[in-house]
Amino acid sequence: MSFTLLMLTGLIFLFAPQTVTNKFQFAFARIFRWPLSISRNLSLFAWTEQPLSKVVDRREYDKLQNHLANIREELLQEQKKVEKLSGLRSRSVWEGAKFALADVITSYVDELQGELIINRGRDDGLAKGQFVLGDNSVIGIIYSVDSRTARVRLFTDPTSNIPVKLPGTDVSRVMQGAGNGSAVIRMVKQKVEVGDDIFAVKKPGFLDTPVIIGKVVQCKRNSESPLLWDVTVRPVSDIEKLNDAAVIIMNPQK
Amino acid sequence: MRWLRFAGVLCLAAVMQAGLLAHLNIKPDLLLILLVFFAVYSRTSDAIITSFATGFAADIIGFTMGPQIISFGLFGTALAYLHRVVNIRKVSYQVPAIFMTGFLAGILTHLLTFFKGEPTPPNVYSVLFGTSLFSALVGPFLFLPTAWWMRAKTRRFRRR
Repeated sequence: MSFTLLMLTGLIFLFAPQTVTNKFQFAFARIFRWPLSISRNLSLFAWTEQPLSKVVDRREYDKLQNHLANIREELLQEQKKVEKLSGLRSRSVWEGAKFALADVITSYVDELQGELIINRGRDDGLAKGQFVLGDNSVIGIIYSVDSRTARVRLFTDPTSNIPVKLPGTDVSRVMQGAGNGSAVIRMVKQKVEVGDDIFAVKKPGFLDTPVIIGKVVQCKRNSESPLLWDVTVRPVSDIEKLNDAAVIIMNPQK
Repeated sequence: MRWLRFAGVLCLAAVMQAGLLAHLNIKPDLLLILLVFFAVYSRTSDAIITSFATGFAADIIGFTMGPQIISFGLFGTALAYLHRVVNIRKVSYQVPAIFMTGFLAGILTHLLTFFKGEPTPPNVYSVLFGTSLFSALVGPFLFLPTAWWMRAKTRRFRRR
């Protein structure tokens, strides 16, 4: 009897909409926020090499590099706008945007998934599909929101697909998460240099300007079509060590 | 069955799985180890409840709710009934029991996730194999502290 009842309960959870079942997961993240943060920090401390003294913090360096790459790309966009529409008024790319700063409650980054849970939700203006920045680079997209928490699917998650721009072109391709902290752009016609920046493309209503998302770490021939290339991309920020993130809210409600 | 202690060890395992072990690529599944422990060291009626509760905890820290409640509940119950026939308290039986339960429950979980319409990563079976193997090797060592916490008898008969 108990087996039947519990199996029925499991089936109810299985077929219930995710908006309902997410409440349990968000409640767990909120209730156990402190132990999760402490255990996460312990894990990061145990698995990270301690930095040398008298050198710039790596995270600060990456943050500034990303900011520089974004400024260069914004300048390029503005120049193109001026060439195209000279004489007409234009507004700054971030003029209608607001950034919701959030703390990372916990993160799951391994071969099967790449996800963060942050402490901002619908009450703070968050919604599905919004881009999330870490150290001035895109790290993922909001895919589930509660009133006070939200889940971010990182672009390295195997189920993630984000349109990105290849360096030196305006062609956009889909970048698929590959797990284990990397993503792949498959079947690209031209070879891309290792170290090149990859930008997330504009998405009306969510992202008004391309923002850096990763760097190319490998470019090798596609196994099925040797004339095409598979480009492997890694994040430009150390997502596992992030303690805070910023959500881009375009045209926020007042 | 000491239910308060069970709730405590379940919460601890869930927090450690979601926090401390989250960044490892191949890691032991503490909730799977607990599932097998309670299936073997509890009465059958209690093992059914603990199996579903452990599945609920696994879903809470996972991607979607429902698949692991069903798979853990099903295989935990099956293991509890199997224990009536085969004495799984021997270490030589605990290792394959943890491995097979983890692998089969994992396959069912991913099938149910697929039927629910959620996307599934491509290399799931290799990671599942690694996780089940790692859990099987680590699990028997975690049985003793868990048995101490739950005041469970680890020997069926005392030596005279």
